[in-house]
Amino acid sequence: MKIAEINRQDEMIYPGHNACPGCGAALAVRYLTKALGKNIVLVLTASCWSIISGMPPLTALKCPILHCPFPSAGSVGSGVRRGLNARGHHDTTVVVLAGDGGTFDIGLQALSGAAQRNEDYIFVCYDNEAYMNTGMQTSSATPFGARTNTAPYPLYKEGEKKDIMQIMAAHTVPYAATATVAFPADLEEKLKTAQKVKGFRFIHILAPCPPGWGTESSDTIEVSRLAVATGFFPLYEVRNGTDWTLTVPADIKSVSLSEYLNRQRRFKEMDDRRLNELQHEINRDYKRLLEKVAKFSAEDQK
Amino acid sequence: MAFQMISGSQAAATAVQRVGVDLVAAYPITPQTAIVETLADFSAKGELGGEFVSVESEYAALACCNGAAAAGARVFTATASHGLAYMHEMIHWCSGARFPIVMVNVNRTIGAPWCLDPDQGDSLSQRDTGWLQLYCANAQEVFDTVIQAFIIAEELLLPCMVVFDGFYISHTYEAVDVADADQVRKMVGPPAFAPQVIPGQPGNLHGLSTGETHLKLVKDRHQTMLKLPVLFKKINMAFEKQFGRSYNILETQIPSGAKRAIVAVGATAETVKWALPVLADTGLIQLRIFRPFPAAEIRQVIEENELTELLVVDRNCSVGMGGIFAQELRSALYELQRPPLVRSLILAGGVDLTENMLLDLLQSTGNEENFALRWGDEF
Amino acid sequence: MLQAPFKETAAYACGTAASSVNKTGEWRFLTPERQFRQSPCRQGCLLQGEVPSWLDAVKRGQWEEAWQIMSRNNPFPALTGYVCFNPCQENCNRDQLDQGIEIRDVEKAIGEWRLKNYEPSKAIIEKKKKIAVIGSGPAGLSCAYYLTQAGYVVTVYERSAQLGGMLALGIPEYRLPHKILKRELEILSSEGVVFKTNTNLGSDLELNDLYEEFDQVFLATGAWIPRMSGLPGEDNNHVYNALDFLSNYNTGVPQTLGSSVVVVGGGNAAIDSARSALRVNGVHHVTLLYRRSRLEMPADQSEVEAAEREGVELIFNVLPRSIDTKGGRIKGVTVDHSRTDRNGLLVDSSNSFYRECDSVIMALGQLADYSLFGTLDGEQTLFAGGDLISGPATVPEAIRAGRLAAMAIRSDYENIPVSEQEILTGEVVSFEELNLAAKVNLELQQKEADPQREAERCLGCGTCNSCGICYLFCPDVAVDQVDGKFEFNLDYCKGCGICVKECPSQALVMKGGGR
Repeated sequence: MKIAEINRQDEMIYPGHNACPGCGAALAVRYLTKALGKNIVLVLTASCWSIISGMPPLTALKCPILHCPFPSAGSVGSGVRRGLNARGHHDTTVVVLAGDGGTFDIGLQALSGAAQRNEDYIFVCYDNEAYMNTGMQTSSATPFGARTNTAPYPLYKEGEKKDIMQIMAAHTVPYAATATVAFPADLEEKLKTAQKVKGFRFIHILAPCPPGWGTESSDTIEVSRLAVATGFFPLYEVRNGTDWTLTVPADIKSVSLSEYLNRQRRFKEMDDRRLNELQHEINRDYKRLLEKVAKFSAEDQK
Repeated sequence: MAFQMISGSQAAATAVQRVGVDLVAAYPITPQTAIVETLADFSAKGELGGEFVSVESEYAALACCNGAAAAGARVFTATASHGLAYMHEMIHWCSGARFPIVMVNVNRTIGAPWCLDPDQGDSLSQRDTGWLQLYCANAQEVFDTVIQAFIIAEELLLPCMVVFDGFYISHTYEAVDVADADQVRKMVGPPAFAPQVIPGQPGNLHGLSTGETHLKLVKDRHQTMLKLPVLFKKINMAFEKQFGRSYNILETQIPSGAKRAIVAVGATAETVKWALPVLADTGLIQLRIFRPFPAAEIRQVIEENELTELLVVDRNCSVGMGGIFAQELRSALYELQRPPLVRSLILAGGVDLTENMLLDLLQSTGNEENFALRWGDEF
Repeated sequence: MLQAPFKETAAYACGTAASSVNKTGEWRFLTPERQFRQSPCRQGCLLQGEVPSWLDAVKRGQWEEAWQIMSRNNPFPALTGYVCFNPCQENCNRDQLDQGIEIRDVEKAIGEWRLKNYEPSKAIIEKKKKIAVIGSGPAGLSCAYYLTQAGYVVTVYERSAQLGGMLALGIPEYRLPHKILKRELEILSSEGVVFKTNTNLGSDLELNDLYEEFDQVFLATGAWIPRMSGLPGEDNNHVYNALDFLSNYNTGVPQTLGSSVVVVGGGNAAIDSARSALRVNGVHHVTLLYRRSRLEMPADQSEVEAAEREGVELIFNVLPRSIDTKGGRIKGVTVDHSRTDRNGLLVDSSNSFYRECDSVIMALGQLADYSLFGTLDGEQTLFAGGDLISGPATVPEAIRAGRLAAMAIRSDYENIPVSEQEILTGEVVSFEELNLAAKVNLELQQKEADPQREAERCLGCGTCNSCGICYLFCPDVAVDQVDGKFEFNLDYCKGCGICVKECPSQALVMKGGGR
């Protein structure tokens, strides 16, 4: 999609919302609602967007938003979809929006249940890699080595970032994809593709958070670009758990991981050992992804 | 009249089928399992009308109902004990969100340790969540109450819990008049409440609000819930006409001249009814509705009958305070000029009430140290 | 479907009022602002044209706006679109990405739009001042245009029968179609310019007499005196100077050059002469002799290449020594080799060759006629510009001179600055400074034939060219999009700075100070 095309679509968010300056999550939701159009209903669980969506009597979105408790996004979404069907609104797209906490941690059970039942909606996780709304505490989406307010310096997040996409692939959902705000055309195309698929669709959007990551508010797009280029957050799709395609390749040889990490105060004073561990993790995962992509590509040719 | 020999659980499920729902979200837990299985049977035979979905937890079941109700669907789920406790957050949410969800809770003890007997603490510990709570004493009451619950919930726009004892009611069989779907649907009608989620109509539903807003909303819920007695009468008049049966908020059997009454809820009330002939000068007050608490109605009964003593059977215990029915009752009686004495029998763990227990209790002189509070293991 | 009427309404929290009542612009302590920095194309442009701005207008399909911007510096884009040597394109930063923009083609398209959509200007306040312009070349025509736009009454005097100066007589048809010039002249007439041809200042008209009728005079007579070589045999009839040859060629006067022609010179006139000579009936071979190297040729390289492609034989580092005539005809030319070193041009007579030919065209440059200066009595100001003052230069430079003259003349009567508006100073935006990551990820294009699509490829170095990236990346939708242009909405802008960082064009900067 060209920039002009993306820009021409109707805006579904109002200005005047209270996201932080430079908020990646605001951009993520802006893009996905633009891509999906007016006939949508949003189920929104506890996350930054619970606040960004505004305090009644105000609203920041031009579609219905149903707030729900933290662990329940996946299941409330199931109910909304079925309830809308019962009332004849079969064409309305149901979007379930959760942060990384509401997807990877407290929301994982509901996500898994809904994915297994192949519930007919789009689950979008906007991932700022910690519990940012409550003040930047560690989640299982926090990358290895990062510091948070529950793993403050000299502590850091132990354990790798949970691989939610592999979990979704294991559920063989019809469509799952990663996306990020530096590639709006890629993000929008994926949402539009998802809108046409029936069954459970999962979109994982990396949304940089300036206060939480310790980045300049103006760096949001650049940081998101680097996340892709360094292989930290590759952009790909997987259909039915078996068909893997890469949509924006990384450039690990030209862009070093340090370029990405150095812009974020949450990675300050990463010692070499940890840097190597993180690099090793990225290399291993990216290699595995490429193998899957190649395998599917080869099979697809036949 | 259409009689079937069914258990309390089957009666609940049959009532749901008669009413006609858009969605049943199911998760099994002893002793409620027969409810979801019966509904699954209806679904398999194409008689359910709506969707039947097995979800991954009780929380998910209520969450799914929540979402569907938001879209304007009529929904149902059932649970017990730990399942109910697990849903606790969601139970609060449904009331605040004003979703007319009907849920059956089959009483069962909450551990530790594991215990399957019908302690009522599970439903009672949800008494502050803003749900209507209706308690049933037999399978017929279960059938009728579930039907009425849908009408009440959709009228008041508050979720409604129908509660009955595990095993005693859920697993015992009775002859139940199950009516037929047409009759029931004529009475209940299709879902008649406004959806909150309407495609094309933007709305920030249940978003962050101030304390002041919350206060107004709670006040509205409270005042709305207090409308139940009037509504209940109206519904039961129609029920009487349609099915030849009706219910009162309180079921009272007080022999003339009796100055004391046993207050019981659920299966224990049936035991008391059965034992009444041998209990001298004692009556029964069966609470059918627990939320809203029928304070005015109870005070009226006490004043009319000039009761001086109440013996409350509590198959529960709020540790550190005592029996919950007793506690609520004492609070309701505070306004009386001459409040009766309230004695408490605690049968936590769902311990069975026996005639001997009642006889023993009623023979107390009043001077015993444990006159006011007796435990089920003292007999 | 839900049919029963709704009985009860419940109270619950539901927000329907737009959050746009929150003016989040109050959060700001830094504000994004447009900046203008010099773009490489502008820096190269001989007209100081606002190239990225009119490319932007074309991209948005706003041809009227493009014309307005263009005509601030250049009223004849249809002409310059053909003949300008586009130094702007040589600087284009896009060349370092894929292919540079064909700026000239877009300029030509604006010119064509102008010619097709011309409507007479609406009446403006007449200044009731009459100005005489001497010479109808690009400098004179440009001055006439700008003065007429400002409400002055202009008469243009031209000594020859043709209007246009170099445009008509010096530049051949294959480089500039006559119909274009004709249409531009029509437009000028429609605007009220009066043309008087066959009127020579100095013989038909006296300079001092002009001041009785006119308030001011602008001399733009160009440089038409051919420089002579002084070579033996130069006085032969078959030795032509480039100006005469081209004049005749362009006005359709038949000329016989024989079959083999030698052209001497290295400038644009030499190349024009060589290429035109090829097109003359009977000519089979044209040789061009230049005394220095190819790289040192003043002529535009694209023209040189065109000449080569057409078959002109180019010989460098050679200097004719004499023209060999016999019986009134030319037999050939004796040519020495030459080279340049730090002492200047060295001619090596020991190393020479003979080239047979039938005619010789001398294109050794032109000189201006200064004889008119010094004939003024009285204290009038005399304005002059173009090749007359600078010596032989280019069409765009002449157009610029005409515009500056108009400004100078106007400043006598109006409160306008005498000289040009401030030219952007500061560093030219280099390719490395452009933030192309977003643009490249989103769209990578090769050269487009359609001018509007070609204009889309412009990176807008130093100027906003409405690429829409600030709008695209704003988390707060604090950029307004109107008719394809973008403006910051300071009611909502939180000053995050993403727009400035992502702007591909170096057109934005964060300034201290919030609301």
